[in-house]
Amino acid sequence: MPEALREHVVDTPEATALARWLEGEMRAHDVRVTRYERLPGGAIQDNFLLDVDVADGPFRGTHALVLRTDAPTAVAASLTRAQEFAVLRVAHDAGVAAPKPLFLCRDRRVIGREYFVMERLPGIAPGHRLTREAALVPDGDALARALGANLAKIHAIRPPIAVLDVLPPPAADPARATIAEYRGYLDGLEDAYPALECALRWCDVHAQSSHDVTLVHRDYRTGNYLVDAGWLTGVLDWEFAGFGDPREDLGWFTARCWRFAAPGREAGGIAALEPFLDGYESVAGWRIARADLDYWQLMAHLRWAIIALQQAQRHRAGGERSLELALTGRIVHELEYEALQLLAQIAR
Amino acid sequence: MSDISDAADLIATARDALLAELLPALPKERRYTGLMIANAMAIAVREERLGFDAARSEAARLRNLLDAVGASPMRAADPIDTELATLRACVRDAVRNGRFDDPECWKMLVAALMHTASDRVAISNPKALRGEAAAAPR
Repeated sequence: MPEALREHVVDTPEATALARWLEGEMRAHDVRVTRYERLPGGAIQDNFLLDVDVADGPFRGTHALVLRTDAPTAVAASLTRAQEFAVLRVAHDAGVAAPKPLFLCRDRRVIGREYFVMERLPGIAPGHRLTREAALVPDGDALARALGANLAKIHAIRPPIAVLDVLPPPAADPARATIAEYRGYLDGLEDAYPALECALRWCDVHAQSSHDVTLVHRDYRTGNYLVDAGWLTGVLDWEFAGFGDPREDLGWFTARCWRFAAPGREAGGIAALEPFLDGYESVAGWRIARADLDYWQLMAHLRWAIIALQQAQRHRAGGERSLELALTGRIVHELEYEALQLLAQIAR
Repeated sequence: MSDISDAADLIATARDALLAELLPALPKERRYTGLMIANAMAIAVREERLGFDAARSEAARLRNLLDAVGASPMRAADPIDTELATLRACVRDAVRNGRFDDPECWKMLVAALMHTASDRVAISNPKALRGEAAAAPR
């Protein structure tokens, strides 16, 4: 390696350990880490940008990678890195736009935690930018169609799948199981939340007959996918994936709480609802009914409210004092308000 | 207006100083934290100004709701926080037990809770409040 490049080699103990590990995985004699930096965001997972030069072997060349590992305090509801790696592999193999997973490391001796390495896709993700800066999304309808079609590809993955045996089996009645889980969680808190109880009651009474059970992403929304030159390059953050009712993902993607700067554009603040559902239908062969979408949008607000309460608890009771977590707790008020707006609309 | 700054005025003034003098001097990677602090201070100011009335009127609405379905708890002489906690828990139980399922009761429930939620959003994030659009069809 020329001397001028050598100075770019990151030789911290962690980067060096990663280089040695990658030599094994990539069947190479010389792997050098040229960049290793923590990426911003991710209260639950830690992501690191990882660039490597591989001198020999089947992976010879330079690689732009992302290393994904658990944040020091993980949330119970999320998958382990090994489970997420398995899901990502199945999804990627099924043609879903997602980063290609490369190697999993369960040996905690390398960097002290389980992690996996995946290819780094180009594009930007922040929802407040994608919904505000028209230059980033020149054709919102086309992007929404692609997002709908891509989601339908995820939903085409159905149990049983041997490599996904690591996931919990699907609940017999996903909506009611979720409602029971949320009530159980709320019962453990100091305060009562009448607005959330009201929405839960409605969802319980109006729970729909069971639908197909498929793989669901459970965090498929603006802010969790990359857009490069207006095009979808990949969906990120698979840590909540599991088997469930595919309508849950449709409600989550279109819920008002995930439209950022453009609440009037129902498809994730990117476009109107129709192109998104058109794209979905073009692959799935079915289209969600308006009443079902309303139901799952209400469930989306409930779910986000429960997660926000969990984040608030980490700050208030979990010994993890953090302004960001405290402010996330205050979002509960908005979610109660939006849930009630939806209930009022549905009744009208 | 009192002669000496109250808590809300102190926090509001401190926030102005943060935004005008500190935030521009912060390195880029600290800007997000600066903005979060400014946001937290703005919430604290609004809660200091609006929180007491919001809690008192919430308690009154919850009492009305419980009276309407005959599920009122004993009138407590507790301070407002404890009383609110009791009222909220009673409404939770009544909702779970289907006491508000009747369409008229349900409408009253949603309207009362909406009023409370609006008051709280006016404190936590007033930008999220809807104007006339709330009544418009989708």
